[in-house]
Amino acid sequence: MASATDSRYGQKESSDQNFDYMFKILIIGNSSVGKTSFLFRYADDSFTPAFVSTVGIDFKVKTIYRNDKRIKLQIWDTAGQERYRTITTAYYRGAMGFILMYDITNEESFNAVQDWSTQIKTYSWDNAQVLLVGNKCDMEDERVVSSERGRQLADHLGFEFFEASAKDNINVKQTFERLVDVICEKMSESLDTADPAVTGTKQGPQLTDQQAPPHQDCAC
Amino acid sequence: MAQEVSLKSLRESEREVILRVLYRDREVQNIEEERIRKLKTHLQHLRWKGSKSGSQEYQQKSCARCQQALGLLLNRGAVCRGCSHRVCAKCRVVLRATRAWKCTICFEDRNVKIKTGEWFFEERAKKFPTEGKHETAGAKLLQSYQKLSKISVVPPTPPPLSESWCSGSPGRFQELGQFKGFNKSVENLFLSVTTHMKKLSKSQNDMTSDKQRPAVGPRQCEGRSERRSQSDTAVNVTTRKVSAPDILKPLNQESPKCPPSPVFISSSPAPNTLFSGGLRHGSLISINSTCTEMGNFDNANVTGEIEFAIRYCFRTHSLEICIKACKNLAYGEEKKKKCNPYVKTYLLPDRSSQGKRKTGVQKNTVEPTFQETLKYQVEPTELATRQLRVSVWHLGTLARRVFLGEVVIPLATWDFEDRTTQSARWYPLQAKAEKDEDSVPTKNGELVVRAKLVLPAGPRKLQEAQEGTGDQLSHNGQLCLVVLGAKNLPVRSDGTLNSFVKGCLTLPDQQRLRLKSPVLKKQACPQWKHSFVFKGVTPSQLRQSTLELTVWDQATFGVNDRLLGGARLGSKEEPAGGADSCSQSKLQWQKVLSSPNLWTDMTLTLH
Repeated sequence: MASATDSRYGQKESSDQNFDYMFKILIIGNSSVGKTSFLFRYADDSFTPAFVSTVGIDFKVKTIYRNDKRIKLQIWDTAGQERYRTITTAYYRGAMGFILMYDITNEESFNAVQDWSTQIKTYSWDNAQVLLVGNKCDMEDERVVSSERGRQLADHLGFEFFEASAKDNINVKQTFERLVDVICEKMSESLDTADPAVTGTKQGPQLTDQQAPPHQDCAC
Repeated sequence: MAQEVSLKSLRESEREVILRVLYRDREVQNIEEERIRKLKTHLQHLRWKGSKSGSQEYQQKSCARCQQALGLLLNRGAVCRGCSHRVCAKCRVVLRATRAWKCTICFEDRNVKIKTGEWFFEERAKKFPTEGKHETAGAKLLQSYQKLSKISVVPPTPPPLSESWCSGSPGRFQELGQFKGFNKSVENLFLSVTTHMKKLSKSQNDMTSDKQRPAVGPRQCEGRSERRSQSDTAVNVTTRKVSAPDILKPLNQESPKCPPSPVFISSSPAPNTLFSGGLRHGSLISINSTCTEMGNFDNANVTGEIEFAIRYCFRTHSLEICIKACKNLAYGEEKKKKCNPYVKTYLLPDRSSQGKRKTGVQKNTVEPTFQETLKYQVEPTELATRQLRVSVWHLGTLARRVFLGEVVIPLATWDFEDRTTQSARWYPLQAKAEKDEDSVPTKNGELVVRAKLVLPAGPRKLQEAQEGTGDQLSHNGQLCLVVLGAKNLPVRSDGTLNSFVKGCLTLPDQQRLRLKSPVLKKQACPQWKHSFVFKGVTPSQLRQSTLELTVWDQATFGVNDRLLGGARLGSKEEPAGGADSCSQSKLQWQKVLSSPNLWTDMTLTLH
């Protein structure tokens, strides 16, 4: 088990203090929409179609380089099941940003988005940054929630919107990076001045550019 | 506001999974807290460096940061919008893009706020004002199920936990049967946390090694769960075993589930506990260092070797002992196969804590690598009188130490000029040779005094006195003693002393006359030049009296003063100080007594 990979990456990720700051991100959404897969794809670039329900909570750590800063992300993966709700909601308060996920092949998971959003409003800080993500966009044949509906709902709730696929690795990285950027923006806002030296306002336009191509992927 | 976070509705197996996540999280938090602490300390240092406290300084215009004077026309300085202090042009940081600037401190302050996530806590406090700053949900969850702080302090007196549990809740105990080792003592907890971290980091990344695995096929599901369990097992087993029962305990006993609000508000002492426990060891060793010297330690069967190098720099008078490694050490705790070795050195005969140097503690190894250099400041002449004792110790629970072996090297015969002796060598460790050392007289520096017997009249009276006839007449004789100074004292670790001298003259009738010099602060070689005058003594009395001079290091905070060394003159003088010095001081003392009204200089060796 203790392979070379462990020593190479293992040490670095967890115990290394060599980063500029740490963001905590929470992934929420109905059960089986693909939260864990999404995280595994992002953190480890791996994917398994099998479904294993998350017990309560779990997290992964990933350090990224963004806007000239090394940012350590502690990404919390939550159980979608109702029975773990007391535990998962306890983690809302520590999160700077959220990925609210639904499954584009599952109408119910989409309908629950409103409720999840209310949960965020209740349990999180006022400036919580939320990205709405419609996962499983590779399964076009089984799609029941159109991109348009997703976008509209996101607009309505004031969230940014992505369609993504953990399986085909579509928009996964972009989602996280965008979330990091919006948190950075909030951060500099809260520190009252616009200071692009430490935040990522400049990244804004670039990212909107990045948003376009993935959608084309989805359409195919 | 604080919602009841509870694991009580969960099954045992689920709880276990979650607890593992909580512990992993705590590792991350600990690292984060350490980082934040460093950042804040750094900022604090910056503040102190350039702080302008008094308002009176404001009249004389100077930069609030670098204290440089500001001109009336040129370099007038400007007021920082952050702190409203006037700063010079050099102490500003212009923010990119905008023209705005901040003073260096305000800029750093902002940086620290970003880096520590302080901005977030401030924002969050607007909605949840009672929220503990760095307290995470995980910490709360853990807190509400165990009094971690207590666990880490309670000594490991493990009454088989299983029994008490059986009585408490026999049903649950069945389920917990799998936790065979949970009466493992707390020391595991201390140690495992650090070792833990490494393993944890693996667990976060163990997926990477699975990348290549063909993840398609009918057995995917198995593959998945296997992966999970891998990451689970990576979490240190001992910690889990130790803590799990304590977490589950309150649940089983149906005691108050969640301690109410104070737990939520109190700013995270518990998450630190485990970690600081480990860190505290350092200070515990220091406190108890005398204990090991007093024999308050356990012995292990001495095995193995130690590798170190000895160097002496004649220019700087610095003796360097480079401790490299040990191999084949005995286990500090044989039964548990535990060993947390560290190395300690003394320059015998100085066995005081000031003369102690030690390495860091290596965890869970009998083959530790230290690569640490321990230094002493010693005069070349002094060097020949010293013995280097290098001992290896195991640090156990609650700073209990176990002696693992030692090497004693007489430096008198050591050839410091020879290059070959400077390279590292392996030395076999040996059992304590306490007795041999005791026979070696200690030498704690020299005291230089000047003494004179003052008699009121001339030599005639002395004659009488010596004949024992004029005792009444010469009863107002005086022994004058000027304590000039001392050198080569066993200094503190910072190389200084707050030393003073006590003089005690014990007369034949056991009457004691005591005098004390003032304290000379922060001097390694104090020059008191202080006079002691013992009045009303006769030469015949003096011949049967004993004069004891002791040098002390004054304690800082009301703790006992430290005896640095002493010398004894007079009838009861013992030949402890070696024939030479002893007889020499004896002769000098006789000279003092036999030549009244004349100053005699003496150099006394302190023991």
